[in-house]
Order: sequence, then C-alpha cells, then structure tokens
Amino acid sequence: MTTDRDLPVPGPEADDLEDLFENAPCGYASALPNGRLSRVNRTLATWLGYSAADLVGRRFLDLLTVPGKIYYETHFAPLLRLQGAFKEVAFDLLRADGTKLPVLANAVLRRDETGEVRFIRVTVFDASDRRRYERELLDARRAADQAKDALQDLNLTLEARVAERALALDRAWRLSPDLLAVADAEGTLTAVNPAWTSLLGWPTADLVGRSFVAYTHPDDIAATRATLAQIRTAPLVIPFEYRLLHADGSYRRFAWTGAFEDGRIYATGRNTTAEHEQADALARAEEALRQSQKLEAVGQLTGGVAHDFNNLLTIIRSSVDFLRRPDLSADRRSRYMDAVSDTIDRATKLTSQLLAFARRQTLKPEVFDVGERLQGVADMLDTVTGARIRVVTELPHEPCFVKADVSQFETALVNMAVNARDAMAGEGTLTLRLTTATPLPPIRGHAAAAGPFAAISLTDTGSGIPPEQLARIFEPFFTTKEVGKGTGLGLSQVFGFTKQSGGDVEVHSVAGEGTTFTLYLPEIAPGPRQEPKPPRGDDAFPTGDGQWVLIVEDNVEVGRFATQILEDFGYRTTWAANAEEALETLGADGSGFDVVFSDVVMPGMGGIELAKLLQRRMPHLPVLLASGYSHVLAQDGLDGFELVHKPYSADQLGRLLAQIVQPRPRG
Amino acid sequence: MVFAHGFGCDQNMWRYVAPAFEDRFRTVLFDHVGAGASDLSAYEPTKYETLAGYADDVVELATAMGVKGGIFVGHSVSAMIGVLAWKKAPELFDRLVLICPSPRYVDDGDYVGGFTQAQIEELIDFLDSNYLGWSQAMAPAIMGNAERPEFGQELTNSFCRTDPEIAKRFARATFLSDNRADLVDVTARCLVIQCSDDIVAPREVGEYVHRTLRHSELVVLNASGHCPNLSAPEETVAAIKAFVGDD
Repeated sequence: MTTDRDLPVPGPEADDLEDLFENAPCGYASALPNGRLSRVNRTLATWLGYSAADLVGRRFLDLLTVPGKIYYETHFAPLLRLQGAFKEVAFDLLRADGTKLPVLANAVLRRDETGEVRFIRVTVFDASDRRRYERELLDARRAADQAKDALQDLNLTLEARVAERALALDRAWRLSPDLLAVADAEGTLTAVNPAWTSLLGWPTADLVGRSFVAYTHPDDIAATRATLAQIRTAPLVIPFEYRLLHADGSYRRFAWTGAFEDGRIYATGRNTTAEHEQADALARAEEALRQSQKLEAVGQLTGGVAHDFNNLLTIIRSSVDFLRRPDLSADRRSRYMDAVSDTIDRATKLTSQLLAFARRQTLKPEVFDVGERLQGVADMLDTVTGARIRVVTELPHEPCFVKADVSQFETALVNMAVNARDAMAGEGTLTLRLTTATPLPPIRGHAAAAGPFAAISLTDTGSGIPPEQLARIFEPFFTTKEVGKGTGLGLSQVFGFTKQSGGDVEVHSVAGEGTTFTLYLPEIAPGPRQEPKPPRGDDAFPTGDGQWVLIVEDNVEVGRFATQILEDFGYRTTWAANAEEALETLGADGSGFDVVFSDVVMPGMGGIELAKLLQRRMPHLPVLLASGYSHVLAQDGLDGFELVHKPYSADQLGRLLAQIVQPRPRG
Repeated sequence: MVFAHGFGCDQNMWRYVAPAFEDRFRTVLFDHVGAGASDLSAYEPTKYETLAGYADDVVELATAMGVKGGIFVGHSVSAMIGVLAWKKAPELFDRLVLICPSPRYVDDGDYVGGFTQAQIEELIDFLDSNYLGWSQAMAPAIMGNAERPEFGQELTNSFCRTDPEIAKRFARATFLSDNRADLVDVTARCLVIQCSDDIVAPREVGEYVHRTLRHSELVVLNASGHCPNLSAPEETVAAIKAFVGDD
C-alpha cells in the first residue's frame, strides 16, 4: 500500500487532488511508453489486492488473463498506437489471489511537444455488476433464442405432422371404397369423394351444390329426410339404408352413417347393393332347399298315399257295385252306404291334409297350438303308414303354443315318421307325445335352458340306430337307405328347423327296442285366439223349410247335384250358371230369395266379388260360398263369408245352410 | 510488394511502414475479408475455416494485380498465410517477410508455441461469450442479431474495424492452426522478424521458424510487443530494407 508519507508534502489544494486521485471510485494508472506502470491509485491497487508500490514497474499486460493479453496485443495495442486512445474495452484483470475482476478500461496516449509518447493514462472501472448483468442478459437472450429455435423446430414438426396427416386424410378420401360426403344442414352436398363417380357414375361437378334428395329414390325420400333431421341432434350410428340414383338410371343401395359437426353433415355410405343381391339369392336358394326337402318328404309319403287311396277306392267301388244290385236288402244297403260315406270322409281328410302339407309358402313363423297340429299330422300319418303300424298320440288337455313355421313343423314330423316307418319295417307302434313346460336339457354340448319348452317326441318300436351312427344322423346327405330311397336331407331339415326356431332336437336309441326323437320348441303365452266356433247343429238330420235358395254354379254336374240335394233337404231352388245371371235373377232387392249359395271360382265375376256386391246391395240376404281351391281364399280372404269346402257332404251343406238361413215365418 | 495485416487489425497497421517502400516498389495493401472496409458479404464460413481460404485470396489478389516474383510482407497470422500462398503459387513471390510469425500457438511436446491448449480454448470461449473486447459490442449481442448495427460504424474507433462474428472465426482459424509442416519445403528467401518481448509469438517460435525455413534470416528487434510495425516502425523498415536490398 502506498502511504501519504512517501508523497511530497502537498498544499491544501494538492491534498484535495491527491485524495481525488487515490480514492476516486475508479482505478487510475499511468504507464511509460514501454508499457510499464509508473503510477497506480489506491482504488485500483485495493481492487487487485496489491499495494500500489507492488504494481509500479509491472506491465499493464501482466494484469491481464492470457486471452486478454492476446486480445490486447492483437487489437488494442495497435489501436492505441494508431488513434492514440481506446475506450471501454472489457477485460478481466487478475487479482493477487488469482481471482478475476471484470473491468472496463480506457487508455489514452499523452505526447510531448515533439510528438513523442510521454506516458499512457489508463482508467479502469469496476464492471462486476455490469458483467453479471450482461451475463444474465446474454443467458436470457440465449434461452430466448433456444426457445425460439425449439419453437421453430416444433412448428416444423407440427407442420410436417399436419402435412402428413392431411396427406393421409386426402389419401383416405381419394381411395375410400365408400361414399364420403360433406353436406350442409339442409343436405346440400359441399364435398364428395371420387367413390361417388366410380360407384354412381356422376362427376363431382354434378353432385356438389345439389341436394342429395335429387339422387334419392322417390320412395326413400321421406325416410331419408327424417334421418337427416335426426342426425343434427345425434350421430347416426346404426346404418340407415336408402337407394341412390346411378347415372345409368338404376338405383344402388347404400348404408349410411354420419354425424353433424360445426353446421355440417359428415357421412359415409357403404355400397350394399351386392349384399342385397346376395341375400336375395341366398333366400331363393334356401326356399328352393326347403321346397326340395318338402318334396322329398312328400315323395317318401307318395307310395303309402297311393296304396291307401287304392284301398279306399276299392271299398267305394265294391260298395257301389253291391248297391246297384236290385235284390239288396235294406239292411245291407244301409251298411254299404255307410261304408262309402266313411271311406269318402277318410279320403277327403287325407287329400286336404296332403294339400295343406304340400302348399308352398316361405318360412313364416306363426303362433299355433302344438297339440292341435300334432293331432292333425297323426291323423294323416295314421292313414298313410299302413294298417300294421299303429299311430298313438299322447296329448295334454291344455293347449300349448309355440311360434314356428307350421309347414316346416309338419315337414319335420313327417320326416321323422318316415324314418320311424322304415325302422319298423312296416310293423309296430309310433307314439306321438307332447309334454309341456319342460326345460331344455343339455344337448350335444349346448347348455341347458330353463324354458319353458314344448317337448314333442316321436317314439318308434323299430330296430334302433347304431351308436356309431347317432352322431352323424343330422348331417346333410347322411343316409343309410339305398340309393334312390332317400336323400339324407330329412333329419337335417329337422335339425335346421328346430335350431332356427330357437329350440333343439334330441335323439335316444336302444338297439332292438326303438328310437325316440324329441323336438324342443320354446313355449310361448297364447296370443289372441279366435274363439272356437260353437258346434254346429245337432245330431238330427238338417232340413229346410221351403226357403228359396239361389244356386250359383258354372259346373253343370255340380249344379244339378246341388239342386237335387237342397230340394231333398226341403229347400226350393233356382240355379244361375254365373254371377251375372244370378244378379239378374235377384233383381233390385232379391225379394223371394232367402239365401245365395255360390261357387267361388267361376268365369267372369267370382263368388267372393258377388258376395261383396250382394252384401252392399242386400245386406239382409246371407251368402254361402263353396270352394275346394284354397289358394284363392288364402290370397283374398273370406271377408267373413261362410264357406263350405269342396268336396262337401250333403250333411255338411245342410247343417251350414240351416245355421245361416232364417226360418220362414209361419202363417 | 504485398502487405498483409494480421488478426485484430486492418491495412492501417502498415501506415508507418509501407510508405518507406513506395519509391522503389509498387505496394499493395488490402483488408482480409471481415476486417477493415472489406465486403462482409464475401465471407464464407467453410472457405475461411482454415488459413488456406485466406491464402487463396492472396493468390487471387496478387494474380489479379499482376504480381510476379514479388515480395510478400505478412504480419502475425498473415506471415503463415503468405507461406501457404507461396506454396499454392510460388511464381508470385520470390521473397517472404514474416513479422512475428507463428506456425502453431499451442505447445506440442518439445515445440514451444507459447500457449497451452487450455489457454487457447479459454480465448475462444471468451470471444464466444463476448466478455472480452469492445463493451459496446455487448448491447447488440444482447439485443439480438437483427438489431445489430454495423460494428465499425457504431464504435468510436475508426481503425482496425472487425466484424465480431468473423473475428471469432478468424481467431479459431488462427490460434488452432498448425502449419509447421508447411515451412519445410519453402524455397523462397525469407526474413523472420522477431520482437524481443512478444507474448503472442515468443522468441522460441521465431527461432523455430527460422530453423525450419531453408533460406531464412532472423532479425530480432529491440521493440517489444506483437506489433513492431506500429510500435517501432523505423526499426522494422530498416530490417526489411536490409533484406530486400537498399540499392
């Protein structure tokens, strides 16, 4: 440290200046032209941790760090020589303890009159705070730059991702096999993808700006508009299908889903035209298969039916032959007459059942009473399985309802019966049994179900099925019969029918004892059912009371026969050969006639049409229709008119007429 | 006679030396790219990554000026740039005057460069962080490049203007260079001018250069520091004149 003692004795002014020099808030130093320090103030010496005397004689350069030295020599020393000064140069000065003092340094050359350098004056400011501040600012700057760079990177990445996504979306839009559409809330198309052109043939320009309604099948517009209204409140998740117009004038089916967002409808339409065509083809194939299965069953029956019919015809022929004998006693005559009548009853029942069975209809589940139907089938089977096979039914008293296709149900029963007949080699007992409200047992690995189920079983007393064949009997085309005797489709129809109807089929067989097939069908509560009609008439032979019957019948034989019967019953008759003639005969009010008895199928106006006309014109006049042609009635319905089925017996006709014709007023 | 300035200054540094030769020589003075009044847009980071880029400029310039069998006077780093230029186009210069040259600043085994690797790295770090040098340069650095004004115009210093960004790279090219091998096959006559007390290029380096060059003379000046052309121009001029011949 310098001391005041070393300095010349100053006056008061010099004291002041000396104090200013030594203790000013900045460092002062003077250097000789060779760079060596000649004077250093106390402030600078104190900052650096030296005494001023220690610093005198050293070079300013020596106080600098290595980088500072290089920078000084390459930049500031030349500058000082060239322009005589430098200002505000940032250096780190080395303290005595090795630490660094950040400073700002100014220097100026002082020259004498000749221009020679006398000394260099150096001014030093402590820049610690400023340097720290600068460092913080620089750090902040760098952080900001980094953040900016990071943000730029992020933006680039995002842009790339957005571009990638846009590309993917664009690709999906272009390549989608489904119709994609954007429409406004009213259904005006604002964008459509290229699939519209490939599937419907319309160029995009034709579609955009037009309402989808312009391309919708007229029959679908109302439903489509309703769906459009719904989509605005909730996304359309369950596909809605409608037909769109192809440029070639045909319509194609599309199943649409979509959603409403930001005032726009976004929708996807899947082409279902092909699916529909396939479904239709499948339905046709299934129908054909069912029909062939039915024909198969009919075929199996044909032999028996023909045989049975021959028997019946034999009885009738023989009886008629005997009845022609003039010498026949009244007792014998009566027995032959009964035999003919009974035989015709059986034949009638058989034909009606066969017709009902063979009628063609698509699979149509309906509610029916199993017991009633089972009895009907049993009756038919009884006539066709032959005399040596006994058909036994065990039915509950209460009705039992299931929902299934009646035709298929009957086919299944016949199929099983045919198998039973063959198993029994024409002799034995076939038991048809109905058990109600049973659970479904576990069958072939399928879980049991509580039910209730109706269990319909057919038990034969045949040879039984070998165990190794039991597993295969339901397979299509599996048959043990000779070539030409069976198609192997019978039991697979049984299996398919029960499964389709929500049930199952079980088989038990004991070799040498017999086989039991049991169909399980879900039992249901009975639906509204027509009240059975009250038994008609009584056992007494029905008779007329002179009432006038208008017979309308185009067939001369039948017309003549009907006339004879009705007159024998005690009616008076008039015969019209067709509906037009009948109307003429009836006149304006049908006065004089008590009832009209008309055939249904006639040339010109049919019986049902006639009946309707009469019902309007003369509501008091009852009409009885007669037909054997159930197709017509199945199509058009009876509209409440009474009907007698052909072939009818005199007894049936008499009873029906007696029911609908008002007795003649006495007196 | 082509004068090339060193790192940290520009052609102004020859103002007390070059005039002494104008009577006998055509003198050519120039600023390296990034220094003085040079066209900053001509700076290419890759080209100037090493001293070879600067040497190419010297060759191009001398060729354009029609120099043939001339004298190259290079100070500090430009001494080595002159050596590289001669190797690229020996016909340009017959004689090389190397003032305070250093082929390598970092010590390497027996070789004394004057600095440790750590010290040079510290210098580079200092330059990178702007802690060293013109304090006025700090503001634009903090404010960001966009607002940075032309460095030279902003400063009160009218001499030795350098672009700070280019200066940093020039420092890298200079202080990390190792051109010792390039000295070996120089056949031109060389003058090595060495200051007596130069912290940047110590005496051992001058002696190494002199030893390695085949045809060289070594003159050690009384002058101290790294810029005898400014601090002791008469002595410098005299040494050069002695070398190039005063007749």
